Amino acid sequence: MKLLNVFSFELFYQARRFHTWLAFLFLVFFAFIQTMETYVSGAQGADHYLNAPFIISQGIASGLLVWLVTTAFITGNIATRDSETGMYPLAYTSGLRKPIYVGGRFLASYCLNAFILLALPFGVLLATQITNLPPEVMGPFLPSAYASAFFLTVLPTCFIVTSIQFSFAILTRQSISAFAGSLFVLAVTGAVWYFLDRDYAILLDPTGVIALTMDEITGFWSTGELNTRLPALENSLLINHLIWTGVGLIVLLLTISRFRFSHTDGKTFWNRFIRKNNSHKLTTRASDTGENTSISIPDVSQEFGFKTSLRQTQAIAFESFRKIAQSWSGLALFGLVGAFAFLTIPAEFMNVPLIPRTDLVLYSMTNPGVPPAYFIIPLLIIFWSGIIFWKEKDAGIDEITDTSPASDTVFFLGKFIGLGLLLVLCMAIRMAAGILAQLLAGYFSIDFSLYAVILFGLELSSYLLLGMLVFSIHILVNRKYTGLLTVFFTLLCIAILIGTGIGHELVVPGASPAWSYTEMSGFGGSLKPWMSFKVYWAAWVLLLTVAIRLVWPRSKDSSFRMRLRLARQRITGATLWLAIIALTVALVTGGFIFYNTTILNEHRTPSDQMEQRAEYEKQYNQYEDVPQPRQTGTSLHVEIYPKERKMEIFGTYHLVNDTSVPVDTIHLATEATPRRIAFDREFHAILQDQELGYHVFVLDETLKPNDSLRVNFEVLIEQKGFSANGMNVPIKKNGTFIWNYEWLPAIGYQTNRELRFTPDRENYGLAPRESLPSPFDVNADDGRKAPGMVFKAVIGTTRDQVAIAPGVLQQEWIDGGRRYFRYATATHIGNQYSIFSADYELHEEKWKNPSTESGQPLSIQIYRQPGSHSNPQQMVQSIRASLEHYSREFGAYPFSRTRVIEHPGFGRGMHAEANTIDHEEGFSLINPVKGPLWFDLPFFVLAHEVAHQWWGYQLTPARAEGSGLLVESLASYSAYQVLENTYGAEHLRRFLNQLRLSYNVPRSRAAKPLLKSNDAFHYYRKGPLSLYALSQYIGREPVNGALRSLLEKHHLPGSSLPTSLDLYRELQSVTPDSLQYLLYDLFETNTYWEFETQQASAKQTDNENWEVTINILAQKNVVSIDGSKTEKPIDDWVEIGVFGPAKKGYVPGKPIYRKMHHINARKQTITVIVPQEPVYAGIDPYKLLIDLEPSDNIKEVQR
Amino acid sequence: MVLHINNISKTYPNGVQALKNVSLNIPSGMYGLLGPNGAGKSTLMRILATLQEPDAGSVSFGNRDVLSEKDEVRKNLGYLPQEFGLYPKVSAEKLLTHFAVLKGFTNRKTRRDVVEALFRKTNLWDVRKQKLGGYSGGMKQRFGVAVALLGNPKLMIVDEPTAGLDPAERVRFLNLLSELGENSVVLLSTHIVEDVSELCTRMAIINNGEILLEDEPAHAIEKLNGRIWKKIIPRDELADMEEKHQVISTRLFAGQTVIHVFCNTHPGDGFEPVRPDLEDVYFSTMTRQAAEPETAL
Repeated sequence: MKLLNVFSFELFYQARRFHTWLAFLFLVFFAFIQTMETYVSGAQGADHYLNAPFIISQGIASGLLVWLVTTAFITGNIATRDSETGMYPLAYTSGLRKPIYVGGRFLASYCLNAFILLALPFGVLLATQITNLPPEVMGPFLPSAYASAFFLTVLPTCFIVTSIQFSFAILTRQSISAFAGSLFVLAVTGAVWYFLDRDYAILLDPTGVIALTMDEITGFWSTGELNTRLPALENSLLINHLIWTGVGLIVLLLTISRFRFSHTDGKTFWNRFIRKNNSHKLTTRASDTGENTSISIPDVSQEFGFKTSLRQTQAIAFESFRKIAQSWSGLALFGLVGAFAFLTIPAEFMNVPLIPRTDLVLYSMTNPGVPPAYFIIPLLIIFWSGIIFWKEKDAGIDEITDTSPASDTVFFLGKFIGLGLLLVLCMAIRMAAGILAQLLAGYFSIDFSLYAVILFGLELSSYLLLGMLVFSIHILVNRKYTGLLTVFFTLLCIAILIGTGIGHELVVPGASPAWSYTEMSGFGGSLKPWMSFKVYWAAWVLLLTVAIRLVWPRSKDSSFRMRLRLARQRITGATLWLAIIALTVALVTGGFIFYNTTILNEHRTPSDQMEQRAEYEKQYNQYEDVPQPRQTGTSLHVEIYPKERKMEIFGTYHLVNDTSVPVDTIHLATEATPRRIAFDREFHAILQDQELGYHVFVLDETLKPNDSLRVNFEVLIEQKGFSANGMNVPIKKNGTFIWNYEWLPAIGYQTNRELRFTPDRENYGLAPRESLPSPFDVNADDGRKAPGMVFKAVIGTTRDQVAIAPGVLQQEWIDGGRRYFRYATATHIGNQYSIFSADYELHEEKWKNPSTESGQPLSIQIYRQPGSHSNPQQMVQSIRASLEHYSREFGAYPFSRTRVIEHPGFGRGMHAEANTIDHEEGFSLINPVKGPLWFDLPFFVLAHEVAHQWWGYQLTPARAEGSGLLVESLASYSAYQVLENTYGAEHLRRFLNQLRLSYNVPRSRAAKPLLKSNDAFHYYRKGPLSLYALSQYIGREPVNGALRSLLEKHHLPGSSLPTSLDLYRELQSVTPDSLQYLLYDLFETNTYWEFETQQASAKQTDNENWEVTINILAQKNVVSIDGSKTEKPIDDWVEIGVFGPAKKGYVPGKPIYRKMHHINARKQTITVIVPQEPVYAGIDPYKLLIDLEPSDNIKEVQR
Repeated sequence: MVLHINNISKTYPNGVQALKNVSLNIPSGMYGLLGPNGAGKSTLMRILATLQEPDAGSVSFGNRDVLSEKDEVRKNLGYLPQEFGLYPKVSAEKLLTHFAVLKGFTNRKTRRDVVEALFRKTNLWDVRKQKLGGYSGGMKQRFGVAVALLGNPKLMIVDEPTAGLDPAERVRFLNLLSELGENSVVLLSTHIVEDVSELCTRMAIINNGEILLEDEPAHAIEKLNGRIWKKIIPRDELADMEEKHQVISTRLFAGQTVIHVFCNTHPGDGFEPVRPDLEDVYFSTMTRQAAEPETAL
C-alpha cells in the first residue's frame, strides 16, 4: 500500500544517515550522564531505590527536553527534503494523494523520533547497571517502570511535539522551522509552569515534563510509594497525554488539509496557511528581446586593500544579521529572550514587593533560577551560527560568492560579527526588559552604566567566546546536522566537566570563577580572576580562529585531505604572527592563573576539600573527648586593611580548667594557619599538622583544676591573588564580614568540621554520623548551659570605615591615618561572632528599658550602607515593639543595646547572634507596600531575630531531635505576637495565610511528630503555627507563661539544657484537661485534619435573628513516618464561625459568631442563631488546625 | 593575457577520473569547450574558477599561478556556474549591490553607476526592485551574468550558460559575451555546437577527461572537407550501415533517417558528399575516439 511505501522509504533513508545514529548516541550519552550525576551520587543516602520508577521517569523526562531542543532537524529534514532539494516537482506530481504523502512522512517522523527516544530509557538503564554501588541501593528490575515511562509518557509527548515540528516545517517549506516548533512547545511549557497553578499546570503542559521533573506528583508520596508507584499511570498524567494527543491529531489534520502540492513560490507560512493568492506581476516587454549593445559599463577600477576588506566584512556582517533579525522567527526569538529576561526578575518575595535595584535585577537575570532561561541564549547562538554559516549553501549561491574576491577572513569574520551583532541586540533586549521591570515597579534610579558593564561587557564577551567556539565547530565539521550534534556533544561534555569539577580549570574551555556585584561591595575584586580566565580563553579562541580560518570551506572539494591542502596555501605571515601572539598570551595568562590558583593559593577542588575534612576526622576524632580547659575570655587586636584585602589578628584566649582532672595537653583546631602560637608558660609542640589544621601542645607544668592559662596567637587572613574559586576571602574594599569559627583557632577537636552528608561520608570511608538522640532519651545531666565568655577587641581599619565587633563601643580614635575602635562585652556571649568593617551610616535611637533600675536607655543601632533601601525607622519600631513585648512577657533583655548590621549579598534572611543581628543587602530590598492585603514582612523578620536574644541566646537547647522548636519556633511565635500587637489580629492572620502556603509545596505528609522533628518546615512553619493555634484555644497568656517558666528554669549558666519535651511539659501544665488531646495531636503525633463545609444555609427567624445550618465533614488522620495513614476518631473542639459580608481576599470577613463546638462525627450538622445576616459560614475559619486544603472550610451562606 | 593549463588531472574520491592530463593554452577572445555531459567540462571550469584543486598539474593566468594565488585571480574573475540559486527574499538591486561591494566597489557613487549599467545591459533595470524569488529562469540567468560581469573580469568562465534560455535570450546572451571577448579570456563550456560555431575563435573538444581536439573552428571544419558523406536510409538499415561504415551522426528529417558518415574515400553508392559543419567535427571526433581510444588529434 502506498502509505506503507512512503513511510518505509523515508524510514530507511534516515536510517542510513549518520546523523540519525549520532542523535541516538547523543541521547544515550545524555541520559546516562544525567542519571549518574543526579541520582547515583546521592543513592546511598536516599530513602528510595536508585532505580525507583519515578527516578527512571525523571531521567527520561529531562532527556525529553534535550531531545526536543537538539533533534528538531530530523523531523525538519523529513518534512522538507523534497522542497529544499528541489525534488518536489517530481514528488508532488507522482500521483500520490496528499493525505498519503503527508501522513506517510509524518508517520516516518514519528516512528524515527520514537526510535531515537529509545535511547533515553536505554541510557538510564545503562547508568543503573554500570555502577559499583552496594546491592541494597538497587531495587528489583522493573520492566514496567521503563515500559510505562516509554509508552505512556515518551510516545504521547513525541506525538504532539513531532506533529508541531512537522506542521511548522512542511507548511513553511523550511527545515529550520521544526526548531521553531520545538521552541514554541518549550515556550508553552514554560508559560504553563510559570503562570498556572500546579494542578492546571500538570494537565496543560504539552511535554508532560512538569509533572515528572518538578516533584509535582511524587512529592507527596511516601517511601514505599516512591519505590513502586509508576508515575506514568497517574490520572493527571494520563489525562494530560490524552488532551495533547488530541491536540496533536488536530494539528496533523489541519496540516494535511492546508498543505498543497504546489510550487514553492516564496509565500509566507501565514499566507500559505490561509491560502492567500499573490499573483506576481512580472512584466516581459518587447524591449526584453532587443539589443543593448549601446550601453557600456563604466570603466571604474575596483579597489582592493585593507579599507575594502573592512567594507566587505561590514557588508557580510550586516547581511548575516539582517537575515535573522528581519525574519519572523528571529523576531519571535528576540521576544523570547526578552520574556525570559523579564520573568527572571523577581517582583516579589513571599508576596511582598521587592525593590528592583539594578544590581538585583542583573543578578537575577544572570543567575536565573529557572534552567531554561539560562540556556536560551546559548541555544540561540548554536542555531543562529548554523544558519549564518549555511546561508549561501542553502540558497545555492555559494559558487558565486566563493569566487568573489573577498578573502576567507572577510567571510569568516563578517559572519562572526553578524552573530555578534545579534548577541548585542539580545543584550539590549535584556537591558530593556530589566529597565521595564524597574519602571513598572516605580523604581527610577536606573544604573545604566551597570547595565552597560555587565550586559555589554561581561555577558557579551562570554557569549562571544562561546559563539566563536560553536562557529568553529560548524566550520570544522562542515556538515549541517552532524555539525549541530557535534556542537551539542561538545558543550555537554564541557558542562559535565565544569559541573563535576573534574579537571583543572585551565583545561576546561570557558571555565572561570564567577563575577559578582552588589552595590555595597561592588565587584569585590571578582573581576580580576574572571578577566584573567577570559583573556586566557580568548587567547586560545584566537588561536582556534586562526587555525579554523585556514580550513574555511571555500571549494567544492569537501574531503578533509583537500581542505588541509588548501589550508597550507592559506598560511601567511600574518597567520603565523597571530598564532604566535595568541599562543604567547595564552601561555602568559595561563602561567599567571596557575601562579595564582595553585602556587599563591592551594588548589583545591570541592572533592579535595571533602577529602581533607574526612582526613581530619579520621586522624583526630580520637581526641573528641579529651578534657580541655574552657575558653572564658577572648582579647583580640585586629588590623583590617580592606584595600589590600588583609586582616591581621593578634589574639589571646583565656582558658580555665573547669574539669575535675589536671590537663597537660592543649589541642588547637586551626583554620587559617597561625603565624605564631604561644602560651604564657613553658610548652612544647608535639603535633603541628598545618595542612589539616590540628596542633597539640604539651604544657611543661600541668594545669590543675581551676587554674587558668593564656594562649596567644597571630593569624593573617589575606587574599593572595585569586584561587580557582575566585576571591574566597571575605575581606573586601567595602563590606568585610568574617566569622570567627572560619578563621580563628578553636580549643579542642571541632565536630562541626566533619562531613555531614552521609553519602559524602561513605565516599571517603566514614560511617554515618550519629543521629541525634530523641528528646525522650536525653537526661538532665547530659549537658549544662555554658557560662560563655567575655570578649574585648581593639580593631583598626581605614579612616572611612566603621569596624564592628562584639561588645559595647568604649572608645574611638584616629592613629596614623587609621581609625580604631575598642569594644568590650559587659556580659557573657557564646564563642560565635563576626567582625565587620565597611563604610557604614549609623542610625541610632534609644529605647527606655523598663527592667533596668538605672533607667539607662538602651541603644538601638542600625548600621547600614549609605543609600540603602532599608527603612531604619521601621526597623527601630520593630525592635522597640519586640523588646517591650519580650521583656514584659519573658524576661529582661540582657544587653544594653542591640544592633542591626548590613553586609554584602542578595540573601533575604536575617541572622542573630548575641545582641547583634546581621543581614545581607537583599533584606533591605524587601519593600512592603501598604494596601488592603499587605503584611509587614521585614517587621516580622526583625522581631523574630530579636526574639532569638531570648530563644537561642538565653535559652540554649540540648543536642537532640526537636531542638529547633526551642529556638526557631519560639522565636517565630513570639514575633507573631509583636506583629499582632502592632498591626492587629487581621494583619497577623493575613501573614499566617501566606506562611501556610508552604503546606502546599509538594511534600510528603510522612514525617516525625513535631517534638522529634529536624527540618526547616517543622521549625519555621508547623511549630509556630501549632503554638499559635494552641494560644487561640487556651489564650495567649497561659502559653507565654509556659515559655516564661521554661526560660526561668534553664537560662542561667550551669542549668540543664532543655529539650522539646521540657517545652511540652510546660505547655501541658498550662493546658486544661479538655484540651490536652489537642496538645498531643499537635506535638506528639503527626496529625492532619480534613474539614469541609459542604453546605451552609440560613433562614430568617421571626425576630431579627437568623438560623444558620452548616453541614460539615470532619476527619482526623495520623500519618506515620513511613507514610501510612490511620484515621483517628474525631472528638475535637473546633471553631465554628459565621461572618458578615467581606471584600474579596478579606474572607472570612467580620465575625458575627465564633464559638468552639464539639465535633465528634465524620458528618455533622450544626445549627446556630446569629443576630445579623450571615454571608459566610464554616468550620475552623481561621485554619488553626492543620488542613492541607483549607479553602473548603468556609462557604457562602445560601439564603 | 593567456590562460595556460598544464597537465591537469583530477580523480574524484569515488574513483571517477574526471580529467586526464589536460593541457590547453587559451588566449584572449572567445574560447569554446565542447563536450558531452560528464566529459569533465564542469570539473575543469571549477578548477579554473578557483573552486577545486587538481591532483596534478598547474594553471597560470598572465603571470599568476591560479592554483596558489586564488585571492589575486578572483579579483579579475567572472564565473557563471552551471547551476546556482539566489536568495529568494532579497531584491535584485540589493543583491547585486552586495556583490559589487564584495568585488571591491567601495565608493558608493561609482558602485551605483556600475550596478545601474549592468542592470540596463542585462535588461533587468525595470525589475531590479523585485525579489529574486519571483524571477523567471531567464531573468535569473541574466542576473548571474550581471554578477559575473562586475569588475570587467579579465577571465570569464561560463559553464553551460545557454541551456534553458529561449532563442531570443540566447542571442542576446551570446552578444553580451562577444563584447567581452575583445580584451579578456572568455571560456565558454557548452554542449550546444551552435554556441561555439557562432562565437568562438578557438575551441577544444573534451570527452572522458581528455582533450580530443583543439583548433580554430573554421580550420577544423576545413580538415573534414571531402570526408563527410550523407545518405538517406530506411530505419531498419541503420544497424547494417553502422557495421559497414563509420556513422558519425543519425538524424530524422521529414520522417526519414539521414546518416552522416566519415570516410576518407567515397563510401559507396547512395552516399553524397556534404559540406561539413562544426557538428560534423564534433560527432566525428567523438566517434573516432570511441573507435580508436588511443588517437586524438
